[in-house]
Amino acid sequence: MNRDTLALCSIFLLLVLLQVMLFNNLYLFGFINPMVYLFFIVVYRFENDQTLFILLSFLLGFAIDFLSQSGGAHTIATLTIAFLRPIIIRSAFGVTSEIPSSFQNDSRILSKTAFLALLIGVHHLIYYSIVFFNLNAFYLILKNTLLTSVFSLILIALVSSLYKKLNDS
Amino acid sequence: MQRIFNALVQFRNPILYFVLLGISLLFLNNRSNFHQSQLHNYSLYFSQSLYGVSHRISNYFQLKKINDQLLQENRALKELELKSNGIALYPSALKTKRRFPFQVKAAHVIKNSFLNQQNYLIIDKGAKDGIEEEMAVITDRGIIGIVKTVSEHYASVISILNQDLKINVRLKKNPAFGTLSWKGKNPIDFQVEDIVMNAGLEKGDTLITGGMSSYFPLGIPLGKITDFERNIQSGYYTISTELFEDPSQVYYVYVIENLEVKEINGLNKELPK
Repeated sequence: MNRDTLALCSIFLLLVLLQVMLFNNLYLFGFINPMVYLFFIVVYRFENDQTLFILLSFLLGFAIDFLSQSGGAHTIATLTIAFLRPIIIRSAFGVTSEIPSSFQNDSRILSKTAFLALLIGVHHLIYYSIVFFNLNAFYLILKNTLLTSVFSLILIALVSSLYKKLNDS
Repeated sequence: MQRIFNALVQFRNPILYFVLLGISLLFLNNRSNFHQSQLHNYSLYFSQSLYGVSHRISNYFQLKKINDQLLQENRALKELELKSNGIALYPSALKTKRRFPFQVKAAHVIKNSFLNQQNYLIIDKGAKDGIEEEMAVITDRGIIGIVKTVSEHYASVISILNQDLKINVRLKKNPAFGTLSWKGKNPIDFQVEDIVMNAGLEKGDTLITGGMSSYFPLGIPLGKITDFERNIQSGYYTISTELFEDPSQVYYVYVIENLEVKEINGLNKELPK
């Protein structure tokens, strides 16, 4: 087991614990729970195996669902976003030659922000669609998606920069 | 086999995704009552619309069968209607009697001519279905003719669009009777002669079959009076009338069987000519 794998495993466990223990009980403004566990989807290297990634994402979502007593919304949203990640990478970072080997190895702020925003936005949209599961709650879904996305984005960006500093030092 | 395996390897990510998605949907369905009922609603909605489409499609192919069923139902209703019509027109003392007992059979028109002066129809019921010569043929809104010849499966009908055919008719509100015949031009323009002048009539009055023949039962509505002339010398009206049903555009007809026609004809023969 090399260093990267070990780091990935510890991130996985740490994110699950953080999400379940801390962020699921945050209730900013009464209803916003930022989903910081999506950092795993961000930090998994772009060049690594996609099949394993889908499996791991499924496990991640399942763990969150299992520990937070929710139905299956986290699992479905995380699984789907993992499946769609190559498309999101292409649309955020441009042509194949410009795609970095991992999120950390890129310095273009705009592309990185676009990548994060797309990833989080799509994930939250799927998540809240499944949570409300009703066409009549369309505005509620949109409102929750937008507001939660903003906070998730900020938090994941913060965690990302922190992780980068930890790695560099 | 190798190619299947290759395809599996090539599409492993989508396959894995959909398998896991299915598992998580199952998970969602089992864990949450709300989602269970919502999923149930959606599946109901989808299956309903799916069944709706297939129902419409299969309905389309069953139209012919349904048409036949409706024709049969209409036949039964027509029989009832004719019977009750007859009763309503009789004086109350004779309410339970009819001119003659009859049965109604449904048939399709397979050939219909209306451009000649002597027109005929062919219907798809024949001797096998109990059709006999000289039975009356009517439609849902009028009469159409009299059976002329019968083969095993088909029968030819003298159309009322035939100047040789004279039909006994009467006014609905007044028992004065006369003879209906075709003018020979427009398929719905007919004339009625021999209605006595002392019978009061107006434009728009309804004409019905008179029941004075052994063909048609009393009380089938035929058409309405559009115009009439008093013929002072002969003492009869000459009436122009318009049929309710255009005989050139009929597709379904009912054949009326007079159950006692032999008895009536037997008596007719004994009458002095």
